[in-house]
This record gives sequence, C-alpha cells and structure tokens, in this order.
Amino acid sequence: MLIDVSGLLFYLLAGLAMASALSVVLVSNPIYSALSLALTMLSVSGLFFHLEAYFLAGVQLIVYAGAVVILFVMVLMLFDLKEEKKAFSGGLISFMFKVILAGLFLGVVSSVIGWTFKGTPTPRQALQDGTAQTKELAIRLFSEHLISFELTGVLLLVVLVGAIVLAKAKGGTHAR
Amino acid sequence: MGADQFEIAVNLLKLIVIFLAMVQLVPILVWAERRGSAFIQNRLGPNRVGPLGLLQLLADAIKFIFKEQFIPANAKPFLFKAAPVIALVPAALAFAAIPLSTPVEVSTFELFGRAWGPYVFEIQTVHMNVGIIYILGVSSLGAYGLLTAGWASGNKYSLLGALRACAQMVSYELALGLSIVGALILYGTFSLNEMVQLQEGPLAFAWFGKQVTVGWLPNWGIIFQPLGAVLFLTAAFAESNRLPFDLPEAEGELVAGFHTEYGGFKMLLFFMGEYGHMLVSSALFVIFFLGGYGIPFLTQDTVFQSLLNNGFSPTVSSLLTSLVFLISFLMKVFFFLWFFIWVRWTLPRFRYDKLMDLGWKTMLPWGLMNLFVTAIAVYVMNRG
Repeated sequence: MLIDVSGLLFYLLAGLAMASALSVVLVSNPIYSALSLALTMLSVSGLFFHLEAYFLAGVQLIVYAGAVVILFVMVLMLFDLKEEKKAFSGGLISFMFKVILAGLFLGVVSSVIGWTFKGTPTPRQALQDGTAQTKELAIRLFSEHLISFELTGVLLLVVLVGAIVLAKAKGGTHAR
Repeated sequence: MGADQFEIAVNLLKLIVIFLAMVQLVPILVWAERRGSAFIQNRLGPNRVGPLGLLQLLADAIKFIFKEQFIPANAKPFLFKAAPVIALVPAALAFAAIPLSTPVEVSTFELFGRAWGPYVFEIQTVHMNVGIIYILGVSSLGAYGLLTAGWASGNKYSLLGALRACAQMVSYELALGLSIVGALILYGTFSLNEMVQLQEGPLAFAWFGKQVTVGWLPNWGIIFQPLGAVLFLTAAFAESNRLPFDLPEAEGELVAGFHTEYGGFKMLLFFMGEYGHMLVSSALFVIFFLGGYGIPFLTQDTVFQSLLNNGFSPTVSSLLTSLVFLISFLMKVFFFLWFFIWVRWTLPRFRYDKLMDLGWKTMLPWGLMNLFVTAIAVYVMNRG
C-alpha cells in the first residue's frame, strides 16, 4: 500500500486545515471567514491528536476553537462591517500594508522550509500516555520557560486593563 | 494480536448501539420532562395517548418528521441547515468517551470451525486516556451550533439568543473547567476509567503520612471535593442551557431565542443536542464525584467471583457483572437527569447581569480557592 490509514488521515486533516485557512482569507463575508478559522483550529487540533499530543489537542479545542474564535464570531455578528471592508479593500495605505504583510509571510514560509531541510530532525520521545505528557509539559513550562510564561500572563493582563479603560472612555453602557 | 472480524463487528455494533441509546433517550426525557413538570405544577400533562401518555412520544416523533421544512426569507440557507447538526454532533462525540460499565471479558470459543478470542470489550465507544480533556474540548464546540443558528436565521430574536448563548457558555466553561481541576489533582489522571477505579472500595486517604480508612463511607470524590461538586453542577446547568440559566431561549423575552425560526426535524436535532449535553454533564458528575459505575461496598471482583461461584461460565459472569454495573451507572445518571428537570420547573430564570456576576464574580473565585486549597492539602498530606 502506498499510503497507510494514518498517512491518509494526516493528508485529510492537513488538506482541511489548508483549505479552511485559505477560505479565511478569500471569503468576503467576515462571519464565514471567522467560521473557517474555527474549522482551521479544529483540523489543527485533529493533527495534534494524530501526532498523539493529546493535551495540546484538547487545549487547542477548548481555548481556540471553543472560546477565542467563538468570541470573534460573536463580536463580528454585532457589527456592520461594510465601512471597514471598504477601507481595507483599496487605497495606497492598505496596499502598502498588504505588500508588507505578504513579504513577512513569505519570509516565515521560506525560513520554515529552510529549517526543515537543515540537519536531521530529532526523534520524538515516546510519551504515549496523555497524563505523562501533560506532566512533562507542565514541568517544562514552570521551570525552563517560567519567565516567558509569566511575561505572557502580564501581557494578557495589560491587554485586559487596556480594553476596560478604552471601553470606559469611548462610551457604551459602562461609560463614565 | 490484531483485531479480527468478530472484534471489529462487535465494536461497530457497540458504536451504533451507544449512539442510538443516546438518541432514544431524548423522547423518554421529553416525556419525563412534560409529565414531571405537570406533576410539579399540579397539572396532569400528556396522559391521553397510550398508557401514562407514553405513546405521545411516538406521536411527537411522527409530527417532527412530517412537519413542513421551510427556510425563512432572510436566512442564510447553508448555515441554517447546518446549525442543528453542529448542535448535535459535539454532544454525541462527547458521549462516546464516557465509560458506562466494567469491561466484558470474552474467553476463547469455537464458531464457524475456528477458535476466536479471547477478547476484552469495553462498554464505551472509545477508550481514551485523556477522556476529560477530550470531552471538555468537544463539548466546548456546542456553542457553534447555537451561534450559527441564531445568525443564520436572519431574525433579531435569534441573534440576541445566540449572543447570550455564546457569552454564557464561554463564561461558564471557565468555571466548569476550574471546578474539576481540584478533583483532577486528587486523582492524578485524565482517564475517566482510572478515576472510576480509584473511587472503588471504602473511603481511604493519607492523613499526614498515615493511611486512614473509613469503612462506612464509599471512596467517592464528592467527599473530598464538595465545593467542586456544587460548582460543577451549577456550571453544568449553564453549559446545557437549562433553566435557571436558559437565557439563550428565554421564551418570555426572546420568543424562543436561537431556535425561533426552527421547526420539525431541525428543532428535534436541537432538542437532542440539549438533552445530549444534559446526559454528558450528568455522566461526568457521576464519574467525577459519585464513583462512576461503582456500587458502594461492592467491588468489581466480588461481584464477578460470586457469579463465578454460582456456576456461571467466566464469559457470562463478566457479562452479568457488566450489566449490574451498567444499571448502577444508569440509576445514578437518571437521578441527575431528573434533577435537571426538577430544578427547571422549580427555580425562576436569572437576570442576564446576575448570571454574568454569578459566573465571573462568585463561581470563578470559589473555583480558584478550591483549586488552591486542594493543591496545598494534597502537597501537605502526602509529605507527612
């Protein structure tokens, strides 16, 4: 057999992830775009499951698909985005932005491809048990990467405080 | 040895039977809900069709199927049709990971001129060693069904219902997740099967390095985590959008909320989704805090041995043991399903801002405190 079941599953999930990621960019309706993003998150989570990274797969589902993208969709439903869509569909400034972003994206893609071909990949450690994996992840996160973990927390707190301050200043039901 | 035809056939059958059992529970629950509400409110309820009104279920099912299917003028047809399916699938997927009873061990037997077995069949669709993460992940997708239904209907009431549903489900998911972290620390595993096995036997715990056993109490999670249990149960009501937290439907304010424009079979799929969430929540509560399929003062081995001593063959004893524990699990789950109905017809609906206050300002801090205290207690007790 050329491809086994596991390979077939991988191509299916990866294809779904790429197709839905493309439709995030290509679809003009923001809500469909956000729903495609949710589908992308789902298929990425499926890929994690396929790689036996169960905890990551679950967290991907709970945090991204189950909370973040849901809030995106919810906020998008509340707004009439015709003005914003027009502002980003033409004009010199948005053109410049698009060129810069496309350049950055190409840079990321080329460096990832270069990385893949450089040197041999280190073999995956066999930690099949989901509980053991999570333990290992927690130990790494709270020892080696403690400072970056805490910094991320502080960053999120700053964003939270900023959002509340903006909401209070700009009006709405909670305006001062 | 790899899976042979017999094993594949049984597993496939199990897949279908468990899914159908879940779906078939819906009409029975609807009946229990209508009769139960009538009983609570001193009315009669449906009692004309068949004995105790039980054939009302059949009449309802026929009505659901033969109703005209229509799509409102302002609706987005694709999402409008997809939404009920999106609402049902997460609940069905989540139910797949729930261990319903003890595994059935089938010893070697002869059939069609060859030897088969031995096999071990679990009474659960998929055995996962990360069951709880999977269930939380999959059931968090349930909000998409409500969201797309509300938006795709092209109706303002539906949209308002969908917005409420999302804000509520995302908020209470946090409280739900936090309420079980304490229990997860105690059990030290993500596997639902292992959790059930850990709760077997009498109450036993480490008290400053000494082992303490209390014979007259079962070793259930609710004794170690009473606060976690209360928080979980409350959050479960919000997650399955049941009264007192049914703000997404709120028939007094929003006609019928997110499913205002739905009727017939599509509506039935939403029903199945809601009752499926109820079923999964009840089953999770039973597994986390009430010993799963375990029976107090009886272990799997004692039941199996006594059946074996009464002259049954090992396969039949294993099957009967499984049946006994399945009944125990179903009894516990049915109690909580009744509890859901009971609460629905007893408590009034929350106001929306009160609901958010309860989630964020009351349940979240209590959940964090429960986690903190449990972590310290586990650390101190185990050090001795």
